[in-house]
This record gives sequence, structure tokens and C-alpha cells, in this order.
Amino acid sequence: MTATTTPGRPSAAAPPPRPRPLLTRRRRRALLPWALLAPGLAVLGGLLLYPLGRVLWLSVQDYGLDNILSGETDYNGLDNYAELLSDGYLWRVALPNTAVFAVVAVGATVAFGTLVALLLASLRPLARTAVISCIMIAWAMPAVTGTYVWVWIFEVDRGIVRQGLEAAGALGPEGLNWFADRLFFYGIVTLNIVHHGFPFVAVTVLAGLLTVPRELYEAALIDGAGAWQRFRHVTLPVLRPVFAVVTILSTIWDFKVFAQVFLMPGGDGANREVLNLGVWSYLQGIVQRDYGSGAAVAVLLTLLLLAITLVYLRSLFRDEELR
Amino acid sequence: MTRRTRWMLGRALAVAALLAFTLFPAYFMVASSLAPARSVTGTEALLPADPTLDNYRYALAEAGFLTYLGNSLLVAVVTVAGSALLALLAAVAVSRFRFRLRTTVLVMVLVVQMVPLEALVIPLFLQASSLGMLNSLLGLSVVYIALSLPFAIWMLRGFTAAVPAEVEEAAYIDGASWPRMFWSVLLPLVAPGLVATGIFSFIMAWNEFLIAFAFMDDADTYTVAVGLRQFFGQNTTDWGAMMAASTIITVPVMLFFLFVQRGLVSGLVQGAVKG
Repeated sequence: MTATTTPGRPSAAAPPPRPRPLLTRRRRRALLPWALLAPGLAVLGGLLLYPLGRVLWLSVQDYGLDNILSGETDYNGLDNYAELLSDGYLWRVALPNTAVFAVVAVGATVAFGTLVALLLASLRPLARTAVISCIMIAWAMPAVTGTYVWVWIFEVDRGIVRQGLEAAGALGPEGLNWFADRLFFYGIVTLNIVHHGFPFVAVTVLAGLLTVPRELYEAALIDGAGAWQRFRHVTLPVLRPVFAVVTILSTIWDFKVFAQVFLMPGGDGANREVLNLGVWSYLQGIVQRDYGSGAAVAVLLTLLLLAITLVYLRSLFRDEELR
Repeated sequence: MTRRTRWMLGRALAVAALLAFTLFPAYFMVASSLAPARSVTGTEALLPADPTLDNYRYALAEAGFLTYLGNSLLVAVVTVAGSALLALLAAVAVSRFRFRLRTTVLVMVLVVQMVPLEALVIPLFLQASSLGMLNSLLGLSVVYIALSLPFAIWMLRGFTAAVPAEVEEAAYIDGASWPRMFWSVLLPLVAPGLVATGIFSFIMAWNEFLIAFAFMDDADTYTVAVGLRQFFGQNTTDWGAMMAASTIITVPVMLFFLFVQRGLVSGLVQGAVKG
């Protein structure tokens, strides 16, 4: 079609020029996405971003119950942080209980999940689907009920582990309160977290495994590679981005475990040796009503997570194959 | 024994061990809930000789779990409705329009999802306290809408983006306005995604513990996750009732979960990955 008008064609057929309504319609259309986004962004802003700013603000205040009642604030600069960072408790208990635990739990979850994925990949499709459905049950277990089931399994007086160990002669009738011991306590937390977290790793790694071209393994076999060498030199490099995602997501989840610690015997503050940063912040802020220093602990936890998130985003946007 | 049968046998053993480890807690939970005696021991609970529903009756009728179930259901339904509506609008905006700051908005939603609840609980508690929203189921639901929104937006975005542009254009050619196109064309096509997203919001609201525990100190407003704690005593836990209540909480989550498991994996991995 050209712009030249054919003689004989009635000019009334051409659309009448309407520059003004067209312009407003276009402008309306440009505003439409923002109108659609507005309610969601308002909720996210008011209930996630504003509180995040508020926790930063609280962390530089001496803020207690009387401040809520009077509405006045006591700015105290970096006092909360100075107190926090010079507290031996942070370095000796809360930080190791958060960071060392997360490293161990993530390592165990990813290793176990990968082994399960390799096992699943060797099964026939029907058996594979059946086993996947079963391991999903572990993932679906809510953190709260799952934690109580593990506490019940390890119950000190009449739990099944205690009775089993006693019957086997490994434990005397005096028993052992493993919840009171920091290492045992976090051993049980790790078991709980690995049990709950490995299905995600297994299913994700399995999805990756099924995309690895068969020819690569055949070529490696011809070159005389053993099972471990095939895993080390074919599977691992190809699945590197998948491992990056599952490792970092697991790290983010394991840094902020709360219910899995808080609901264990002694985890609600009765035993100060087993608190992690999240539980400590809650006890300082909500329970002790020292909102300022609780907020400082929360900010520290958030900064740790922020650093991990940045690594996550960088690895995501660097790996072209993931897009 | 040939090499091949040894391999098959080893693999079968590995699968059996995996299933035993995976299913044992769920099995033990259900088995303990059926045990008759209040002071059941671990080995007795393993294989209840005389299964009964007494623990369920006690938990529901006497321990107030019926109230907690009602509270949790109300909170979950409000959360699902609110977050599905807001997430749908936002997902349509970011997937079917090209505008300035689009990528910024998406990355911001992704980053906000990483904010730990532990950092939010103190300011949210103070906010709710000054608004008189503590012990309010509606206040809790509003917080849950915000918490479930980032993941819901990312997940729905995949569904809204999958609707071909030609379908949308065909509606315009037929004379439909944008709202009409949204209602009659887009909405029916993303309905399955809306169901899956709603189930995730439901599970999140049903399972959440920290905020509910901080907000609710009146037993009439406990949700199931918070109400469970009342069975727990330092020395005198009623494990039969505890496991009965746990089973009641867990069963709906598991049913929903099996229903949407595929979407969860792709939502977490791809949804969080595509720029």
C-alpha cells in the first residue's frame, strides 16, 4: 500500500484524522503497566521495604518499650553495633551457630541430593517417578511439624533413638541429654535440614543430568574414563551452573533457619549456647523488648545474606546457559 | 553372582535405604498419632498395637485445634486471594508491556524475596502494634500477602509471558478494549498458573511460624503452626496429641504439594533465573 490516493476512490473511506484522542490513548497505554504494578509495589514497599529501612533506623537507636509509649527516640549512633561486635557471645556462639552450621548443612544437602539424583538417573522412568513422589513427601513436611517429629525421634527419656541405643548397650540407663550439647543439638538440626532440603537439590540436579548429551559420556568411555572420572570431568563442568543455583539457594535458606532451632528443647532461649543470629535477634527484640540491639543483630544477618545474594545474582547473570 | 546382578542388588538396596530415610519421619508421625496411651514411648509408637483416634479427638475438641484450623484457613484464604490478584496484575505488567525500569522492577522483586523474615519481624511487630493489628488475623494475612508476593509475581510471570502476542492482537482486532482482552482472553489462559501460585501462597501462609508467633499472644487467634507449641513441655510433652495435631496440619500441605511439585522446581530455578 502506498500513500497515493487512487482517483475514483471515495475520500470518505480514509480514516478521519484524530490526533488528539490517539495521543491520550497512547499515553494511557504507557501508564497502564504502572497502574497494574501499583498495588503490588505498594504492598511490597509498605510491608517489606519500609520495615527494612525501619530496622536499619532502629539499629542506631536505644529503643525500648518506653520509646513506644512516649514516641520519643534516643539516637545512639553505632553503640548497638559496637556492643554487638565487641561481645564475645557473637563470635563464640551466635555467628558459628549460623555460619558454620550453614556451610555444613549446605554441603551435606548438596552432596546427598546429588547422590540421590545420580541414583534416580539410573532408574527406569516409572520407578524414577515413583521414588520422586516419595521424596517429595520429605520436602512437603512443614518445618514446624517436621521439627517436632525429629524432637520426638530424639526424645531424651522415651524417644526411639534413646531406647534403641539403650537396647544395643551403647547408652547406660542414666541416658544423655543431647539437646543440651551444642554439637548434638546442631547435629539434629542438620539432619532435619538435610532431610527437608535434599529433594529440591535431587530433583534440580536430576533435571540437569538428563540434559547432558549422551555423546559426552560415550566419548569419555572410549577414552577409558572410570565412573568417578566421568562424573568429575563431564557431569560436573556441564552442571556447574545448576550446582551454583542449588548451592546458593540452599545457603540463603540455611542462614535463616528459625523454627528448626527455636522449637527444639532449649532453642527458645533456655540454652544460650545453641542460639543462632535469627533466634538471638528475636529474643533481644521481641522478648527482651530491646528493639535497638535486636535490630542490630538482624541487620548483621541481613548483610551476611545480602553478600551471598550478590554472589547469587552475579553467578546467574554471568552464566549465559542459564538464561 | 555376576557383575550385573550385584549392581542391580546394590541399586535396589540404595533405593530402599533412601525411601526408609525419607519416609520414616512422616510414617512415625502418623503411627505415633494412632497410639493409645498418652505417655507412649518411641518403640511402642513404632507399631501401634491397638490403633485409636483418641489423640485426634483430644487435639481437636479439647486442645482447641478446631479454632486454630479455622484461623489458619481464614488467614490462608485471604492471603491466597490477595496475593493472586496483586501478583496477576504485576505479572501482566512486567511480561506483556515494555516500559522503562521494567528490569529494575523485576530485579527489585527478586532481591526483596531474599530479605530474611528475622530482619522484618521487629519492625513489623512495632508497626502492627502501633496500628493495633497484633492478635488480628487480618493484620497477619496482610503481612503474608506481602511475603508471598515476590515469588508469586515471578512464577505467574512465566505463565503470562507464555500467552502468544497474536492471541492478544486478535482480541484487539475483534474490537476488544484492554480490560476486555484481559478478562476474556488473558485470564482464562493463565488460570492454571493462578491455581499453582495460589497453592504456594496457601502453603506459605499455612506453615509460617515466626511472624504468627510474634503477632499472636491470645490463644483465640493462634494459627496451627503456633498452636502446636502448646503440646510441648520441657518434660511432659503429650507426644500422641502432638503427632495427631501435626498430622492434621501436614496432610493438606502434602496433598497440595504433590499437586504442584513440578511448578515449584521450575519456578525456583527458571523463574528465578530468566532475566
